[in-house]
Amino acid sequence: MIRTDVATEADAKRTTKEPSFIGKRVPKLDAPDKATGLARYLDDIKLPRMLYGKILFSGRPHARIVNIDTAAAKALNGVRAVITADDIELVPFGFGSDNTALKKGTVTCVRDEVAAVAADTPQIAAEAIKLIRVTYEDLPVVASVAEALADGAPVIHEKAPNNIPFNFDYLHGDIEQGIAESDVIVEDTFNLQRVTHCCLGTSGIIAEFDATGKLTLHSLSQVPFLYTHDLSRIIGIPPQRIRVIQPPIGGGFGSKLDVHPFEPICVFLAKATQRPVRMHFTREEEFFATPTRQPMIIRLRSGAKKDGTFTFRDVKMTLDNGGRTSWGATTPWISMRTFSSLYRVPHVRQDVDVVYTNNIYACAFRGYGNPQATFTIEAQIDSLAEKIGMDPLDIRLKNAQEPGETTGQGMVLRTCGLAECLDTAARNAGWEVKHSGAQKPTHGIARGMGMASLFHVGGGAKIYRSDGCGTMLKVDDFGGVTVQTGSSEIGQGSETVIAQIVAEELGLPIANIRIINNDTALTPWDVGVHASRTTFIAGNSALRAAREARGKLLDAAAAMLKRDADEIDLADGKVVDGDTGEPLESIGKVIRGMHFGGKHELVMTTDFYEPPSKAPDKEQKGDISACYAFGTHVAEVEVDLDTGVVKVLGFSAAHDVGRVINQLGIEGQVEGGIAQGIGYALSEELKVEGGYVLNPTFTDYKLMTTQELPEIKTAFIETQDPAGPYGAKGIAEAPLVPVAAAIANAVYNATGVRITELPLTPERVLAKLQEARGDKSGETYGETCGQPHG
Amino acid sequence: MPQVLDTLDLAFEVNGDAVSVKVPPGATLLDALRDALELTGTKLGCGEGECGACSVLLDGRVVNSCLVLAAECAGAKIVTIEGLAANGKLHAIQQAFVDQGAIQCGFCTPGMIMATHALLADNPTPSEADAKRALEGNLCRCTGYRKILDAVLSLANGGVAHD
Amino acid sequence: MTVIQEYLAPRTLEELTRLVGDGEAAIYAGGTDLGPRWNKDVVEKPATVIDVKAIAELHGVRVDGEEVVIGACTLMSQIEADPMLRKSAGALAPAAGRVACPQIRNRATIGGNLCNASPAADTAVPLILLDAEVELASVGDDGVVRRRVPITEFFTGPGSTCRKPGEVLTCVRFKPLPDTTSCAWDKFGTRPAMEIAVASVGVMLEQADGVVKRARVGYGSVAPTPLRGHKAEAELAGKRLTAEVIERVTAAARDEINPISDVRAGAEYRRTVIGVMLGRMLNDAAGA
Repeated sequence: MIRTDVATEADAKRTTKEPSFIGKRVPKLDAPDKATGLARYLDDIKLPRMLYGKILFSGRPHARIVNIDTAAAKALNGVRAVITADDIELVPFGFGSDNTALKKGTVTCVRDEVAAVAADTPQIAAEAIKLIRVTYEDLPVVASVAEALADGAPVIHEKAPNNIPFNFDYLHGDIEQGIAESDVIVEDTFNLQRVTHCCLGTSGIIAEFDATGKLTLHSLSQVPFLYTHDLSRIIGIPPQRIRVIQPPIGGGFGSKLDVHPFEPICVFLAKATQRPVRMHFTREEEFFATPTRQPMIIRLRSGAKKDGTFTFRDVKMTLDNGGRTSWGATTPWISMRTFSSLYRVPHVRQDVDVVYTNNIYACAFRGYGNPQATFTIEAQIDSLAEKIGMDPLDIRLKNAQEPGETTGQGMVLRTCGLAECLDTAARNAGWEVKHSGAQKPTHGIARGMGMASLFHVGGGAKIYRSDGCGTMLKVDDFGGVTVQTGSSEIGQGSETVIAQIVAEELGLPIANIRIINNDTALTPWDVGVHASRTTFIAGNSALRAAREARGKLLDAAAAMLKRDADEIDLADGKVVDGDTGEPLESIGKVIRGMHFGGKHELVMTTDFYEPPSKAPDKEQKGDISACYAFGTHVAEVEVDLDTGVVKVLGFSAAHDVGRVINQLGIEGQVEGGIAQGIGYALSEELKVEGGYVLNPTFTDYKLMTTQELPEIKTAFIETQDPAGPYGAKGIAEAPLVPVAAAIANAVYNATGVRITELPLTPERVLAKLQEARGDKSGETYGETCGQPHG
Repeated sequence: MPQVLDTLDLAFEVNGDAVSVKVPPGATLLDALRDALELTGTKLGCGEGECGACSVLLDGRVVNSCLVLAAECAGAKIVTIEGLAANGKLHAIQQAFVDQGAIQCGFCTPGMIMATHALLADNPTPSEADAKRALEGNLCRCTGYRKILDAVLSLANGGVAHD
Repeated sequence: MTVIQEYLAPRTLEELTRLVGDGEAAIYAGGTDLGPRWNKDVVEKPATVIDVKAIAELHGVRVDGEEVVIGACTLMSQIEADPMLRKSAGALAPAAGRVACPQIRNRATIGGNLCNASPAADTAVPLILLDAEVELASVGDDGVVRRRVPITEFFTGPGSTCRKPGEVLTCVRFKPLPDTTSCAWDKFGTRPAMEIAVASVGVMLEQADGVVKRARVGYGSVAPTPLRGHKAEAELAGKRLTAEVIERVTAAARDEINPISDVRAGAEYRRTVIGVMLGRMLNDAAGA
């Protein structure tokens, strides 16, 4: 049996060969179905007798439920069930155990689920919702972190009398020593806005029971196994009686890491009616009733020596958690890794208060606290560089880690291409020429360039007991391969990457590989699509399963051909001579020989890959990931000094990805991350005032359109991580992380004005420019309010 | 109480086939396509004409089918994403989207392809600026648009390389 | 349940004016404004929808004597591409080309754009620069009765016009601009595409020997209705476009508008960008 951790000589020989699939531009396997409209998304699935579910949301930020009258809704023709908290067992869930499927007693945000209906048509369901009469007694609203922390603030959940349910504190080194060692120190308060995922396909689920009470869900979850476990508790059905089927999803980006209340609600409706029920959000519901990225207020102090050496970072953060708690409350676990380990810093402290408010609540979103942290660090690096008269590139290079270093938080950088990323991104952007320190104009158009880097996990993140993934691989007697992987395809291209790896190992065309990845009844355990882990973890698992199958095939072929297994290879669907490549036998014939003759042996392998990472210790230190991702982005912008409009002209990105598996896919990940980052930097904000969402539409929540797409140059630094499949590290989240930081630094370079809030809307930028010019106070602009009247 | 509604009997042409549907007077073209005709390739992304996921061709023009009443389509010619591939072969635009990596989650893809179809019918040699303008009403959250524009430009001049 | 129960598509104007009657039914053209409202359930759906697009007379661009006539059902994409309008309708064609996106421009009509009476209607300011009039028709004792209203008098507030119950907008009329004039128009939004204007401004100038003989200024999204800039026009009349004059014009513009603060922008910011955009247009005109 061949194991990957004991590489054979034959493997060594093969690694020097030009790969057939690894590193190539391989179109996604699911692309043709998506291009023709054949792919069946959740709301394309209609089951016989299916009902349509709809939720009544509280619509009030903070109130006591006095009474719910469902009589009129129940009386409506075509309504099959109306449920409230009184009709279900209320099991607390969520990271803070402060959520229930339907709410009893008090609602703590406008999206709190109060009642739900199942009806024959979506129209009847919507009408029934309007007929439910809820009597509320309004309670004082806590509309911001400041209000939540004020003396005498209303208590939102009794178990957190100070409205601070969680702290995430961290320390390495000694801050006082760091301050003492500093020649320059900068301090700023950054205010980072609420943004939301805007998956083009809205949230939804279908729940159906069979005659024995087994539950099948068509679910959009990114974490089907943890989801089954969590949901099981909430709905009171043992996990082994729940099957999760995942249709293609219209975007994830972290939004599907939690069990959301609508999911158990839909199950309760299916149970009440004993019919399949589909629930599918409108766009407006998607905006106000799904969680967002955390708004954060971050006070950061950082220092450097005269020679540019970083000395310390001291961080105080408050997170607007909203009225309930999802997994997203734990984003400071990731942000602390950025503060501790983005460049070399000897002394770092993070002090975080997660604060309840009556705003809508937050969850995971691509980058998981890292974009916010990176924004603050990279802004201050430019300030430090300016104070000591260093080029922003040089100060970053001075503090970039080397391969082999261990960061202050105990993360071991076995490979690290940070310096090369900095150099490459800067060179491709024309940094030397375009990053100007010249006098800034005060009117008309100004141009500038800025950079920012990123540090992120690249080989999973051991947050749960296991960070593993299973694979079951079968080679049939026609040379077709079925790979059952625990990892999910959510559009990011993981199934294609897995197919490439298996095809490469088994010398078969990609067309021969079938990936099964969307049904927990068939697929083995995986912790889920998050932490940029799938290519690394699921890829390694698939690689090991494929290598074992390869070994079996070669052994059988060697016996059949009376050759030594080391002398033969698999290529183009054939057993070939390892040196000359001369075809010796078809793989199909070898397999049929194994099946029907000799030992009557199937070519089936399984693998469970658990990465060699460690769960963090009590101080949050430790080597949490099997490898780490680095990258640098350089943005070139144009700022209209009279209107405040910022236009991104060009982007240069260099990422340490270990090794490129799919060139086409990885470029798409980087370009997509940059686009999301441009939105985060310039135009996106879900505005919440007094607990109410003001702009729940694509009209006023402004995603980047084609018209704003800048020129993008991507470069991949291949550091060949020893633990990665073929040397690869994860990418997924990384490309979003430094975008806003690079753009804000470019705006600073263009204007000389540092803006510590996002997004950089024209109005905000102009106010800051005018304040700096002394034109007027800048106070006359500022926060806009109210509903649009256009 | 819901009224018992009159339904309209509508006849029009979809993807070259004459079809007739019964829909309520307020049904949108998107409803008719997805619910009555089970052509679910056309997607509902927002219902307000802001995302372009429901784009189809109505008498040769690209429109948001979520904002068109089915009733006004009597006698019209409609082309949806299902109408492009022929004889088991992808349409050149579909093939370009696949080959250029223009598809990730794929939810915006049918609308993007229909908007591209309208562009190329009107202007077989679009520039990058033309392509950006033609797709300005189609949101994509995954790809960052670059590979979508690459796909469009790969087809300019009937697929002759475009600089 | 509010549902549309009836869809009517009259083929003649007379039939339409009779059907419109007391004005309870919704007059439906491109559906790009009504559709989103119906889909989101923010307005009661009407029991009856009257689609006006089957009426031939409401379509297309034609010349009628000294006037150019644009039928109410003419699409934004048709206006954008129409050779005559591109030549003689000042900023109208480019403004139509900046409406939302192709899918919307292929459905939205000029009549709908005006009758929705959004202060942000993209065609309103270009029509102010043209001294355009709208024609309203209703049913009378002897058939269709028509009246004309100057565009500046048509809008009476956000979402409201002087159109009486039973009246329909049939066309927009204006005299083509002579070659001696120049027009500029721009709208401001956070994004270059898919934007409802945060503010828009346009200016028409007829100059001779460097002196402004005639000027029209209009603003959008900075008052309850699209607005004509009388004060700015007064500052322009008879002047050369010197830096001081331009400064006085933009000051007058900032002064005569009445913007609000909403989720899209603050009032003061709207004032600022109106001044900046108008100043840039006048500087361009001065340099030309």
